[in-house]
Amino acid sequence: MPMLPTNMQLQEQLKRILIQELQLMDIRPQDIQADEALFGDKMGLDSIDALEIIHQVKQYFGVEIRDMKEGRQALQTIGTLAQFIENQMVTADC
Amino acid sequence: MSNPTIEIPFVHRQSAHCETGVMSNLLTHHGLEISEALVFGIGAGLFFGYLPFIRLNHLPLITYRAATGRIMTRTAKELGVRMVWQKFRSPRQGMDQLDRQLGVHIPMGCRTGAYWLTYFPKRYRFHFNMHNLVVYGRRNGDYLISDPVFPEPVTIPAANLMKARFAKGPLPPKGRMYRIDRISRDADLPQAITRGIRQACRTMLKSPGPFLGIKGMRYLASQIEKWPAKLGEHRASHYVGQVIRMQEEIGTGGGGFRFIYAAFLQESATILGNPRLEEATQRMTAIGDRWRDFALMGSRICKHRASENETYPAMAAIIRDCAAREEQLYRDLLEMIA
Repeated sequence: MPMLPTNMQLQEQLKRILIQELQLMDIRPQDIQADEALFGDKMGLDSIDALEIIHQVKQYFGVEIRDMKEGRQALQTIGTLAQFIENQMVTADC
Repeated sequence: MSNPTIEIPFVHRQSAHCETGVMSNLLTHHGLEISEALVFGIGAGLFFGYLPFIRLNHLPLITYRAATGRIMTRTAKELGVRMVWQKFRSPRQGMDQLDRQLGVHIPMGCRTGAYWLTYFPKRYRFHFNMHNLVVYGRRNGDYLISDPVFPEPVTIPAANLMKARFAKGPLPPKGRMYRIDRISRDADLPQAITRGIRQACRTMLKSPGPFLGIKGMRYLASQIEKWPAKLGEHRASHYVGQVIRMQEEIGTGGGGFRFIYAAFLQESATILGNPRLEEATQRMTAIGDRWRDFALMGSRICKHRASENETYPAMAAIIRDCAAREEQLYRDLLEMIA
């Protein structure tokens, strides 16, 4: 059985996914802090980008965000998003 | 305004949407446990309208739910709940009356603009005047707010709450506030659910004119196809942005409201003992997924990330698919509850 990724690994994957799929040309993975607001001024993302993020989380990790309550919490930072994905994967694995 | 500390023991619960969340939380405060999904369904909240002659931020208004306030008033009526509504010309009077109600430990629902709600992250603060929240206290010049789109209660300075309650612009809130006055202990929940389903289905299937319900969806589809030629690419992408912001951001929108309705149908299947509503739940969830497909495609067009298959005609095709599925579902729902 393949091992589940660690939280740090998920964070690094998410950074690369966001940069690639959202075409964030001027940002490198090391520029994104785990506790930095996804929808703040630095990354320049907005609610329309949230749709793409939700889609990519499903595509890459098989994890769905359908409930907007959990979406709002999960989509705060890379850290919260990684934690959400990790929790869903652990639950699915049980 | 006087400044004593007041904190009413109000239970804050996060919800998917502000109006239904506020209503559910107020009902719970008064001893009637009704979920957000049931409020949405009993209140016949599911809707669609494309209203190009009404402008929000200079862009056409699209709505995926019933008019603001209508869900609350219908739910209250169906459940025998008496609500008291007030609006004010004078902000001073509006705030004084709020303070008086808090002084006798009554939590107050308020309609507000979102722009002056300083606890919203900056990027979410735009001129939208149909937000709902509960004020349940006051402390050190701030008001205590149960805003159901947030995970925890928040606070707001008095001056900002006043600005939010009396915000200008389209559909201004005019200081509207409301409270629950009386709860009936004889509410007929199955009947309320059945009537709510019937109302929503009829509204979607039979609203007059081209802009509302299923016809409205098809009208929007025909318009979307024309936007690039009619408006130019730049303006067309703004219009698309408006459509999907209203869908996914403002109170969760198209996909989100369809998902809430699916949750309502799921609960209704149990309460009514009607297993056919389980099938309706699955179909409505699938429809919500199609609306999400539409929103995703629109987001890529807006952000200039679209592939060659992601086009305005392709978006129109998805809406037409949603329209066909919803039309058949509403017809079937009317039979399921007959």
